[in-house]
Amino acid sequence: MSFLEVRGVSKRFGGITALNDVSLTVEKGEIFGLMGANGAGKTTLFSVIAGHAAPSSGEVLFKGRRITGLPPARICRQGICRTFQIVRPMAGLSVAENVRVAALYGSHGLRPGPQTDAKVAEALAAVGLDDQLETLAGALTLSGQKRLEIARALATGAELVMLDEVMAGLNPTEIAHMLDTLSALRRERGLTFVIVEHVIGALMTLSDRILVLHHGERIAFGTPEDIGRNDQVAEVYFG
Amino acid sequence: MKGIWPTAGVVLAGLALAAPLSGNAYLTGVAFQIAMWIALAQSWSMLSATTGYVSLGHAVFYGIGGYVAVLLVDAAPFPLVLLVAALAPAVFAAVIGLPVLRVRGPYFVILTYGLSELVRHGVMRIESALGSFGRMIFSAPSPEALLWWMVALAVAATLGAWAVRHSRFGAGLAAIREDEVAAETLGVPTARLKLLALIASAIIPGAVGGLAMMRTGYFEPGQAFDPVVSFTIVTMALVGGTDSVRGPVMGAIGFALLSELLWSSFPQLYMIVLGAALIGFVLFVPQGLSGLVDRIAGRRA
Repeated sequence: MSFLEVRGVSKRFGGITALNDVSLTVEKGEIFGLMGANGAGKTTLFSVIAGHAAPSSGEVLFKGRRITGLPPARICRQGICRTFQIVRPMAGLSVAENVRVAALYGSHGLRPGPQTDAKVAEALAAVGLDDQLETLAGALTLSGQKRLEIARALATGAELVMLDEVMAGLNPTEIAHMLDTLSALRRERGLTFVIVEHVIGALMTLSDRILVLHHGERIAFGTPEDIGRNDQVAEVYFG
Repeated sequence: MKGIWPTAGVVLAGLALAAPLSGNAYLTGVAFQIAMWIALAQSWSMLSATTGYVSLGHAVFYGIGGYVAVLLVDAAPFPLVLLVAALAPAVFAAVIGLPVLRVRGPYFVILTYGLSELVRHGVMRIESALGSFGRMIFSAPSPEALLWWMVALAVAATLGAWAVRHSRFGAGLAAIREDEVAAETLGVPTARLKLLALIASAIIPGAVGGLAMMRTGYFEPGQAFDPVVSFTIVTMALVGGTDSVRGPVMGAIGFALLSELLWSSFPQLYMIVLGAALIGFVLFVPQGLSGLVDRIAGRRA
């Protein structure tokens, strides 16, 4: 049984096919990369897995259980949490309050109290935001807001974290810092990640295996070395 | 600064309860009005300040409670009448909640207003079909008893609003206000929480409506479901500030006192001055009275 299994998922918006019969399996503890140009269907695939969009056909299984069609909140409580390409901080709440919501409502379902506060502090420390607990989330830098989304995902108790372009818009120093954070999270917590990334260097460094999507179809799959040597990928990406 | 608010609340409730001792019926009436608006604005804030779903139709809960109370007042003991007056709008909220809470922003505002008007006209039709053109109430409790009930409701609404804000439930509602999509991604069951907030915010206005009809001694649907009730609730909450539980209290007191004062001093200019005051508040004191007090206190500290 795979940790996450996507079986023959298609998603059509009117006449446009955003995903066409995509299948993949993610194993526990791995970092699974999704690659593809704009409009390849990466974010749509995220939305289908996280419950924000119902697939036109196909199904998604998490730890052997079918999660297709469940609302996002239920999927979160089962242990999957995503971040957003265009960040969604709860801008009027403090950094700590943002993460507290995740601790209270995620799969831990904690009650308010010291245990929740500890969980919040620990999640923020893991992403290096523990010195900004009282800052309003809207006042954080982009890099800070991306970290905040990761901290929220951690605080939900997610076992599978899906990161949608968590490097986009960051400067090289911030990207290096983020790479360190993600490697540490995987090493120390055994978390499983699915990541979408335009920063190809980062994707190649982090991922154990990479799936390449093009116009909603799967065109290549393998280790970063395989993908680097793949002619079709080179053609799609570099013309 | 923080510790004085509960004390201030207790003093205020004590003063209101003692108003009849003055022997001045006008004072009892003003205390009743203030307690009523606190209870209404505080209940409204449980839904609208927490989730950002701004209801412009809370008169419907007030009106349903008033109607039910008038129909039952001769048939049941008074506490039971109030209980049913409180539960009836809660049931109504539970029925309409799911579809209504699917829309947000300005659409929700308009929808709640329209719904309230729909019920108002419905009840007017029913009453006229029954051949009733207003119902007199002969068995209402004394003005003092009504005041005490109303103060109890104001206290209950304030404590309730405080409890909501400081609970897990309140954290979920705040997340919905900030970003509903992010909230559900973090496991917040948004549809359920919104419905519960709507129901919670409908209960006390129902009982308030019952007491208000008893106080006037007369029920007429056009008045019981008057949209001005909804407008006044929103105005008071905005004037007071929606960031804290003391906001609606300050707004209700400030607004009610101001209108009493204007009414007695400038009867011709009353509404004009009140309107100007409201505009001034929205433009220059967007955090409301409670925010203003915090700012002044912060400057001193």
